[in-house]
Amino acid sequence: AEYGKQWYQRRVRGTKIICIGRNYAKHAAELGNQVPSEPFYFIKPTTCYVENGGDIIYHKITKNLHHELELGVVVGRKMSRVPKEDVMAHVAGYCISNDVTCRDLQEKCKSERKPWSISKCLDTHCAVGPFIPASELSHNNIEMVLKVNGEVRQSTNTKNMLFDVPTLLEYVNRHITLLPGDLVQTGTPEGVGPMHVGDIVTLSIPGVSEASFKIIDDC
Amino acid sequence: QSTGSSGINAEYGDFVRAGSKIVCVGRNYAKHAKELGNALPTKPLLFTKPTTCYVTNGGKVKYPTITNDLHYEVELGVVIGKRASQVPIEEIMNHVAGYAISVDITCRDIQEDCKKERSPWTMAKCLDTFCPVGEFIPSERIDPLNTEVLLKVNNELKQHGNTKDMIFSVPTLIEYINRHITLLPGDLVLTGTPEGVGPLQRGDEIYAAIPGVTEATFTVE
Repeated sequence: AEYGKQWYQRRVRGTKIICIGRNYAKHAAELGNQVPSEPFYFIKPTTCYVENGGDIIYHKITKNLHHELELGVVVGRKMSRVPKEDVMAHVAGYCISNDVTCRDLQEKCKSERKPWSISKCLDTHCAVGPFIPASELSHNNIEMVLKVNGEVRQSTNTKNMLFDVPTLLEYVNRHITLLPGDLVQTGTPEGVGPMHVGDIVTLSIPGVSEASFKIIDDC
Repeated sequence: QSTGSSGINAEYGDFVRAGSKIVCVGRNYAKHAKELGNALPTKPLLFTKPTTCYVTNGGKVKYPTITNDLHYEVELGVVIGKRASQVPIEEIMNHVAGYAISVDITCRDIQEDCKKERSPWTMAKCLDTFCPVGEFIPSERIDPLNTEVLLKVNNELKQHGNTKDMIFSVPTLIEYINRHITLLPGDLVLTGTPEGVGPLQRGDEIYAAIPGVTEATFTVE
């Protein structure tokens, strides 16, 4: 619990945020993407973090800011080429999270065959709820819900993931070392959509955790 | 962490341990864009590397099993000394603590696949040991608008460029990034590579330098 508090207060905040893409079949379909044969991922810097109660900035370079509800996995021990059967022993816990995305910029990056960074890595674009110790959840049976202004937009159970948490962690740690405090966001279900300035976005694991954020203008 | 009267954080000298990220700029020298068949950009092209990419002078770059075409790209690295967020261009260089000679290691074949599939460049750019860097050089020793960078492989010259050939200058790049991504003390900005990129083999020795200022050596394993 102390570790979690420190992680959340950014003292042991880790060095990076790994974000898995296309890990729910219906989400791949809704964006016209194929289901991948192996996990793929991109990386957000820690300047993306915003904690419960904070503000998500609608940066002026986008006209289509989207929410993406994700289960976050908090790394507790350094991991490099740890085999799948041992990865979960390196997990400190979880958090509910929103992989905020500039959808129009992402489309442009894709059509121009460029990296996605400008659409994913902006300040405040990794909204996270409080730390939940690993013992409190089973990674493959977690209900998650995202609401905008009280209306449900995304809702799923992590059992719908194409690649489960141990598979993802093993895959990433083959070539990229994960350090204590690093976060792995594990993909979003269908139902992604726009947020607007003034919206209140709430993320929850019902009965376990909740966090809310306000969308604000880029001044 | 101590800060001087300018607000520059004294940890920047150990930027490899103090910084939070590496922000990289692509296609910033016209002849390099051309050699890879890319159009010249109208705005800086950005991607990031995590700090697990760092290798310091004398260290080893790992040739991953998943690629057959590992490439070197020598770059001037800019070390941030003072937090920068929406700082205007006329003040931005006050936030720079110094520089480091750097190599942006790239899996060229994987990068081509990422471009074909329109996916992120992570597996081409972000693997462990993919950012070898030399020592920290204080800002007064470098003119970012006129600095030579060179790279040799097994003592054979491969790249030799000058930052005056950059499409977007160092101040332009840092101002552009800091509009929407806060830069923190110890963060590194890689500012693009000149022409002459090419493949590495296991066992190669990489020598990267700013002649007369700094040099660093790495081996590929």
